[in-house]
Amino acid sequence: MIKKFDKKDEESGSGSNPFQHLEKSAVLQEARIFNETPINPRRCLHILTKIIYLLNQGEHFGTTEATEAFFAMTRLFQSNDQTLRRMCYLTIKEMANISEDVIIVTSSLTKDMTGKEDVYRGPAIRALCRITDTTMLQGIERYMKQAIVDKVPSVSSSALVSSLHMVKMSYDVVKRWVNEAQEAASSDNIMVQYHALGLLYHLRKNDRLAVSKMLNKFTKSGLKSPFAYCMLIRIASKLLEESEGGHDSPLFDFIESCLRNKHEMVVYEAASAIVHMPNCTARELAPAVSVLQLFCSSPKAALRYAAVRTLNKVAMKHPSAVTACNLDLENLITDSNRSIATLAITTLLKTGSESSVDRLMKQISSFVSEISDEFKVVVVQAISALCQKYPRKHSVMMNFLSNMLRDDGGFDYKRAIVDCIISIIEENPESKETGLAHLCEFIEDCEHTVLATKILHLLGKEGPRTPSPSKYIRFIFNRVVLESEAVRAAAVSALAKFGAQNDDLLPSVLVLMHRCMMDSDDEVRDRATFYMNVLQQKQKALNAAYIFNGLSVSVPGLEKSLHQYTLDPAEKPFDMKSVPLATQPITEQKTEIAPVATSKLPEKMAPSRQDIYQEQLSGIPEFQGLGPLFKSSDPVQLTEAETEYVVRCVKHTFAGHLVFQFDCTNTLNDQLLQRVMVQMEPSEAYEVMRYVPAANLPYSQPGSCYTLVRLPEDDPTAVSCTFSCTMKYLVRDCDPNTGEPDDDGYDDEYVLEDLEVTVADHIQKVLKPNFGAAWEEVGDDFEKEETFALSSVRTLDEAVNNIISFLGMQPCERSDKVPENKNSHVLFLGGVFRGGHDVLVRARLALADGVTMQVTVRSTDENAVDVILASVG
Amino acid sequence: MGLFDKLAGWLGLKKKEVNVLCLGLDNSGKTTIINQLKPSNAQAQDIVPTIGFSIEKFKTSRDSLSFTVFDMSGQGRYRNLWEHYYKEGQAIIFVIDSSDKLRMVVAKEELDTLFSHPDIKHRRIPILFFANKMDLKEALSSVKVSQLLCLENIKDKPWHICASNAIKGEGLQEGVDWLQDQIRTMRT
Repeated sequence: MIKKFDKKDEESGSGSNPFQHLEKSAVLQEARIFNETPINPRRCLHILTKIIYLLNQGEHFGTTEATEAFFAMTRLFQSNDQTLRRMCYLTIKEMANISEDVIIVTSSLTKDMTGKEDVYRGPAIRALCRITDTTMLQGIERYMKQAIVDKVPSVSSSALVSSLHMVKMSYDVVKRWVNEAQEAASSDNIMVQYHALGLLYHLRKNDRLAVSKMLNKFTKSGLKSPFAYCMLIRIASKLLEESEGGHDSPLFDFIESCLRNKHEMVVYEAASAIVHMPNCTARELAPAVSVLQLFCSSPKAALRYAAVRTLNKVAMKHPSAVTACNLDLENLITDSNRSIATLAITTLLKTGSESSVDRLMKQISSFVSEISDEFKVVVVQAISALCQKYPRKHSVMMNFLSNMLRDDGGFDYKRAIVDCIISIIEENPESKETGLAHLCEFIEDCEHTVLATKILHLLGKEGPRTPSPSKYIRFIFNRVVLESEAVRAAAVSALAKFGAQNDDLLPSVLVLMHRCMMDSDDEVRDRATFYMNVLQQKQKALNAAYIFNGLSVSVPGLEKSLHQYTLDPAEKPFDMKSVPLATQPITEQKTEIAPVATSKLPEKMAPSRQDIYQEQLSGIPEFQGLGPLFKSSDPVQLTEAETEYVVRCVKHTFAGHLVFQFDCTNTLNDQLLQRVMVQMEPSEAYEVMRYVPAANLPYSQPGSCYTLVRLPEDDPTAVSCTFSCTMKYLVRDCDPNTGEPDDDGYDDEYVLEDLEVTVADHIQKVLKPNFGAAWEEVGDDFEKEETFALSSVRTLDEAVNNIISFLGMQPCERSDKVPENKNSHVLFLGGVFRGGHDVLVRARLALADGVTMQVTVRSTDENAVDVILASVG
Repeated sequence: MGLFDKLAGWLGLKKKEVNVLCLGLDNSGKTTIINQLKPSNAQAQDIVPTIGFSIEKFKTSRDSLSFTVFDMSGQGRYRNLWEHYYKEGQAIIFVIDSSDKLRMVVAKEELDTLFSHPDIKHRRIPILFFANKMDLKEALSSVKVSQLLCLENIKDKPWHICASNAIKGEGLQEGVDWLQDQIRTMRT
């Protein structure tokens, strides 16, 4: 009978994966043979394997069936078959969370873990710790302590690792095993020592003093295990980073001494730790880099890879140090391992001189088709960094990138290239034409809608301003004929921009637009009709408002306002000014080093921070009737980082009011704060209207209280004010363990730092993609101009940054970048003043002895102009 | 048990294996009794409360019977787990702490639950009672214990009670011998 079964099993198991078509119910049916006596270990083993396979495939087991199978499995403890028993341990671990009453095997496991059979002991400990909860832990504590100091390495390691897992659920119990772990840390076995050190660290990691004491002890006494050394190095570098201490500390000396360890692993870890440290001097860096350099010529591929990868990562941070390895990196270019070669080349690109760029690019293109997409992205990122460094090399890069664009590749790869080309175009006006030409060619055959729309948008923005805009029309109109709806719609928008900007092209654009009005898609037709009508008016202001500079409101906010409007229909038309403005997307503030990385923004329209605040504030009855939220500032810290209470303030600006939101955190575990509010004393004519206290502030749970302030109505130019803040609250002492508070408390107060309200809090950043058009649109009704001398500022860059951060407005047309070696610069700033009035600032800067600045402000409201000029002066 | 196994048993070719459940309230001495029955070189030195269950094996000296004992935990919260193992039990050892008069009713209650369980109710399986801890002064006699537990009401199953002292091992052999005889008569 048994034989027949076996044969059947084997037959069904023919083929590549014997477990491919398993049925859960059939397997559970088979599991009944666990109940038979005598036990057939071979068959039971096979069934257990099937169960574990199913579990790992994500098959869902119901509690009842899992429990039944589990209890059937417990009978297999009768058998002394070693393989079967170890399979049981695995099953227990897998089923620990899905079956009920798993503690039934506790005694069986404790028997195994204290037994004579060493093969059983380690795995039994691991299984036992999986099924043990906090209440049961006390019961096995004695065995765990014994196991940690057991002389068999596998037993000791198992116990240590299991303890590490249990730290998460019952820290206090495991903490009592420190002495045993301490003993294990002096073991001769390298794994035991490593695991013991890990446990000791995790028990102490919240206590910096204890960690540094432990480090001190082990660095003095020395360890056998290279793994433990690596761990020590990591702990030490983390500690160094946290303490921000100088590099003359004993910790740094320790890491440095590890560079001379006899294990390669330790040497690498130490070198990597040193080069990754912030603010490392060249002298400290030198030995670490020379170690990595040595590894570059190691016969072991893993070492070469590790070394070149580390060098690649820090190439931008310490270019001079990495340059020292250039010779070795050159040798690695031809490495048979493509990953190493790619990293070597990209490192060289980052650090190499301008003259070597051509040669390196040629070298890469020889094997770029052989490497995987991820590495291609690395290459593109390196090129993008290089373009910023050597703008003159853009033609080489551009050719290379366009070749890469033609190759096959995934979305991420293509996007990296497109982003790179776009950033080159933006950095480098000379490269604009070639870049746009390459991109045009790319969208002729582009399967990624996102990229095609992005490029079309760029063409619409940049194309009309090139010397011969007509040549782009063909590429754009091809899209209208050939592509999907989203791309067609984007192409229509791009066409409209050409028509709006180039009068001689307008008739042709109108003809094309007319044809688009016959499109099969609603969106495309709507856009075409809309643009057609706007363009036919031939008015500059209309063009500026509806074609160049789109809506600047936040989309979720607009949706909500419109919904509100339809619910509550009024006589007066919907007012766009009541819609909260969009906070500027981060894409505009590109970081210097990695322009590619910034494009990894979520593509979905997530509600912005401000929309979330709006939601929160509208839930508080005291703040009804303030109108839409105009702007929320970034949080301002009002306390030091490590004080009893941590308070940060967010300033919310409304049309006529300010709401201060104080996010408070109580870091004292023996106190419960109640009725928390922040009392504010304004220096100007601001009026504090209402406090909304936080009812309860238990330990480490942040809570918010609010203060409502009315802006002075009679003097609209009074925009800046200083508030002195005091936090007032009722303290109730409580038991740190249970959090149970005493019955009565006492009033107390805590002085916070002063809070400033500046002109930036009244202005929301708005990007005007076409500043000139916007400037004309606002008109000179309320234009004012004044000249200032900024004597304390030495460079144009500094002046530009100061103005931007002071006014809190959005630089347009990339005018925040000052070209090098120029004595004058024009800065364009766009924004909206509280109340919904557009404000535009043009600042002409000239560098003489200091910086002279001529500020011209235009706005749709006179007050806004006055406010800005008054605050600058 | 397949036909082949039975045949082998008759011919004495195969060692007879018997699954025995060891039940009883906590602290009645189940693990200690099983420990005593094991060969002296396999005996554990210290006995701790069992959590869940543990499986022990031993052979009787007189005869070639091999016992596999499921030593169940007696603690209140684990008693409901006993029933998972009723099905394959071919005999039951029920241990009573004869010095614990107070909880005699609890033991009786557990016994009644046991007998009313569908896996036990209609089977004629032998039950051996150990009135344990007879060395203690306040211990009840085995007769008294059987009265308190109303053992005379058990009609459909063979049962036997014997007084024991598990620490010294007294009285255990008598009980096990009875169990062996019962099992042998059941087999044939």
